[in-house]
Amino acid sequence: MASATAGLGTDTAQDLLFDRSFRTRWRLGFDKVIGWVLPLLFLVAIIPILDLVYYIASQALPTLTWTVLTSTNPYDPDALGVPILSTAAIMLFATSLAVLLGLFGGVATAEFLPERAAGWVRMTANMLVGTPSVVLGYFGYFLLVITFGWGLSFVAGSVTLAFFMTPYVFRIADLAYSSIPRPIREAAYGSGARPYQYVLRVAAPIAFPQILNGVFLALAIGVGETAPIVLTTTQSVIFPPTIYSPVTFLTGTIWENFSQPAGSPSLALAFQAALILLVVVVALNILVRVISARYQKRLEGLYQ
Amino acid sequence: MIADENGGTVVVSVQHLTVRAKQKKILDDVSLDFESSSLTAVVGPSGCGKTTFVRSLNRMVELTPGLTIDGAILYLGQNIYDPHVNPVMVRRRIGMVFQRPTVFPTSIFENAAFGLRLVGEEISVIEKNVEEALRRSGLWEEVKDDLDRPALSLSGGQQQRLCIARALVTQPRVLLMDEPTSALDPAATQRVEATMQRLKEDYVVVLVTHNVSQAARVSDRIAVLHQGHLIEVGPTAEVLERPRNPLTAEFITGRFS
Repeated sequence: MASATAGLGTDTAQDLLFDRSFRTRWRLGFDKVIGWVLPLLFLVAIIPILDLVYYIASQALPTLTWTVLTSTNPYDPDALGVPILSTAAIMLFATSLAVLLGLFGGVATAEFLPERAAGWVRMTANMLVGTPSVVLGYFGYFLLVITFGWGLSFVAGSVTLAFFMTPYVFRIADLAYSSIPRPIREAAYGSGARPYQYVLRVAAPIAFPQILNGVFLALAIGVGETAPIVLTTTQSVIFPPTIYSPVTFLTGTIWENFSQPAGSPSLALAFQAALILLVVVVALNILVRVISARYQKRLEGLYQ
Repeated sequence: MIADENGGTVVVSVQHLTVRAKQKKILDDVSLDFESSSLTAVVGPSGCGKTTFVRSLNRMVELTPGLTIDGAILYLGQNIYDPHVNPVMVRRRIGMVFQRPTVFPTSIFENAAFGLRLVGEEISVIEKNVEEALRRSGLWEEVKDDLDRPALSLSGGQQQRLCIARALVTQPRVLLMDEPTSALDPAATQRVEATMQRLKEDYVVVLVTHNVSQAARVSDRIAVLHQGHLIEVGPTAEVLERPRNPLTAEFITGRFS
């Protein structure tokens, strides 16, 4: 059988169409093997995750009742009503602040700052994303709790968490605005748009799905954070909190309870809190995919 | 307003326009007048500065960082590069259409109305002007029944005519077109060219094109740019049949492009 490299003299249709050289056969075989190996590797990767989910569920579900989820009775130490509601309150406050700061910063960097300054801001944001959250927690502790005298409180915890979430929102807002096709931007300015009109009327609807993604990503990351919050507030059995009162947080509940003796209701509580966080994060991820896919559809065919 | 020797009104007068990027001159001492009701085709090989030239006419060139602009461009006698002139106002008076359709992801109506929404015009005025602009761009008959449809659902050629309507809705006197048919198929190109033919009755149209035969079909006058210099300008037939500059002759016969 002629090999492909010797094909010059023997280029019959069969030789050209049925390349049976060693190299080609080896490649085709390798393709087949890889086709089996990659799914296997994927299984290897998700087994620990599935095991984790199973373990958490098996520890949490036997004692999980509706009362555990909803009771806000301060004299019931083994209920999650207060941590769940408190977490929702903190996330609402922290996310609002992070979205405000991140969105303004991202738009300013993408649209208004000169290239050099924008580069510096982007580098700072990247460094913040890379900063261990415990460092931010200490920063919040020393600046807000001690220096500002806010104490271990709702406001100190939420603001620290907002610091942690802001660079995520910022990076996505910056990216979303920077990646708007240049001709679309020029068409807006060419029609006599002022910069703020471009940002609000033309760019915002195009950037929206991506920014929504960023906000939900920041939310999912923020709700699972522990260090910034356990360092800047402390457990409380009271809901609702006031601005300066301590407030509890689901990850804080895990942190406080997971070292309890095996079989105790408090240990089960840690697993129940973990399960709720898992469900919330998965739900957020699904939600954001559904919503942004719907908005993305409206942009199909934009400047192609 | 200044009347020139032919009796037409000079709407835009480019005087000694020089645009530099660092040391390189993209445009070198270009002077050219544009009269009302005319269509001038600006042609030349790639990189000759024709896009920079047309983008200078409404100060779009300033969106590209690092360019310095010298000389003056008078719009009805007023230098648009005067430090007291706001580029936003210039762009509202001098419309522009780009190489590829740049519709926004909203409805057909809102795309056409964009320039008037920016200034907060009343809805009755907007509706009237949108209809007129769409009629002038030759799109009205095709879209009048579903103005609320997403503009992105239109074909490429329709989108480009919508972009022309968007440029016309603020009732400018000057329309700049930067290779408006380069992304369109022949049938859509033909319709846009027909639109241009009608528009030149009422507007100063400046058409940048790399396509000499398109310039021959639609323009009254051809200006040839070569390496930033304006090497020839004159009535279309004259330039194409008896070019005075040997470089023009080489360009139009396709020896370089």
